[in-house]
Amino acid sequence: MVNKTGSKTLFLICAAFISVILGIGIGSVFIPPKDILAVLASSLTGAGDSAVDPIVKSLVTDIRLPRVLLAFLTGAALSVGGTVMQSVLKNPLASPFSLGVSAGAGLGAAIVIVSGATVGLLGTFLLPAVSFSFGLITVILVIGAVSKIDRRMSNVTIVLTGMVVSLFFSAIMDLLATVSPTYAQRINLWQMGSFSAKEWSSVWILLPILLICIFVFMRYAKEMDIMTFGEEQAQAMGVNLKRSKWILICFVAVLTGTAVAFAGIIGFVDLIAPHIVRRFFGSSHRKVLPASALFGGTFMVLCDLAARTLTSPKEIPIGAITALIGAPFFIYIFFAKRKR
Amino acid sequence: MLRIENLSCGYDGSMVVKDVSFNVKDGQRLCILGPNGCGKTTLLRGIMGILPINGSVYIDEQNMKSLSSRQKGQKIAMLSQMSDTYFAYTVYETVMLGRYAHQKRGAFTSADSEDRRIVQESLERVGMLELKDRPITELSGGQLQRVFLARTFAQTPEIILLDEPTNHLDLKYQVELIDALKEWASAGGRCVVGVLHDINLALSFADTVLLMDRGEIKAYDTVENLDLDLVSRVYGIDVGKYMRTTLERWK
Repeated sequence: MVNKTGSKTLFLICAAFISVILGIGIGSVFIPPKDILAVLASSLTGAGDSAVDPIVKSLVTDIRLPRVLLAFLTGAALSVGGTVMQSVLKNPLASPFSLGVSAGAGLGAAIVIVSGATVGLLGTFLLPAVSFSFGLITVILVIGAVSKIDRRMSNVTIVLTGMVVSLFFSAIMDLLATVSPTYAQRINLWQMGSFSAKEWSSVWILLPILLICIFVFMRYAKEMDIMTFGEEQAQAMGVNLKRSKWILICFVAVLTGTAVAFAGIIGFVDLIAPHIVRRFFGSSHRKVLPASALFGGTFMVLCDLAARTLTSPKEIPIGAITALIGAPFFIYIFFAKRKR
Repeated sequence: MLRIENLSCGYDGSMVVKDVSFNVKDGQRLCILGPNGCGKTTLLRGIMGILPINGSVYIDEQNMKSLSSRQKGQKIAMLSQMSDTYFAYTVYETVMLGRYAHQKRGAFTSADSEDRRIVQESLERVGMLELKDRPITELSGGQLQRVFLARTFAQTPEIILLDEPTNHLDLKYQVELIDALKEWASAGGRCVVGVLHDINLALSFADTVLLMDRGEIKAYDTVENLDLDLVSRVYGIDVGKYMRTTLERWK
């Protein structure tokens, strides 16, 4: 069993590595893997490498690598968030977006876009900062309302409240887009997500948040396992349900809020990654959480590769690609396994 | 072992269980009887600490309110109605989750030899050891409930609460389940408090009965001394006549 899990994990790590190399290599200019490896090695060791063209080196380190890494981290963050929410809400259809993170973040972004606001200090970070704050405030609103309505914070109340608040905020966002048609397209594009023109700074913000969140989630892996059997069972087995729920939901909100703030709303991966991973790794969260991160990251890198190369030089929104590739892939995996 | 003092609890401010007090002794098998809506399950939830309560619950003279969630989990477990699950844990993983309250917290802690021994024994006790690597989503209802029973045993509690665990089970599985629980309770330092919907099953399992009506205790006595007329009045049907008629048919 351990060996099986080990070899599957090794496969995912290799797939992740290959996807990153492909993501960096393929584009308007093709960069062969050996050049990519040489650039990466010289960047890591700090040694100068005259064998690689400086333009290629700059293309790798300044443009493609941060984009690919951000795609990987975003995919990992959303998948891990999905895994946690499906367990916490005992609902295989749940995702971080059930809490209203995306609707809140979307509204925040729309307000920044429409108002054309720029704040000197924050500069290009204004939009992500505002959308992150709005996403987080929305979750706090949802959870606050839930704890007022239902002291036990039951799952049904959380899902329903999240849905109502999400729909309400989406409606305001649509209203904003309608009354200011000049910005409608930008709002629309942001909603579908993109990794274009991303810099290292986004990577350096998302990476530590992702690592801390994964560590916290791993610490709560057993609680999450137990929660999938229902809230009463969890309490009867000695889980401090309310505290575990609060902590998990807060960390999911921060994690997905950050990912959405940088990349926009990218659907589907958060829903399908945990399901596909469970098909191969079983349901134990100690295995599912890291595997979801690896699978979600790899999947997102490949989707981003498709998004920028399929109709090059025009880019397809990443959200469209995740659904276009993800839906048939999901159906294949899900039903092929079930048939057996 | 278990002492309930002036317990009241309910939902959204309205009290479903009203000022209930009783004791359960070591080795006792208590069944709570009463018609639908009389507060049986609510009482169990109150004892378990799932619902906020007025009054007190003592286990071994220790107030439940002073215990942490984990400490509660070490002393008291609950076996509920079987419910389907989407998540495909293996039988072994599911039973191991019963050890949660006894294990150290942490991202990388794992089960020790004591945990493994107890899980193995619990699986043997319910006859599910051979299927330990099977995903629980592939089990029949009866098998699944046996896995949950093993998980309850693996929790090594002093008290097991039953919330209609025999619902949706065939007669054979119902009898097997209550026999396993009887055997468990006889080992000393343990007791069972249960709600079983079927009066026949309840009376064959329990040694004492707590009869409830509209949130209050109507009787608390041994099965032998139970006033059947009172039971009939509470249920609104002649229980004795119904049982005799059923038996007649089998003749």
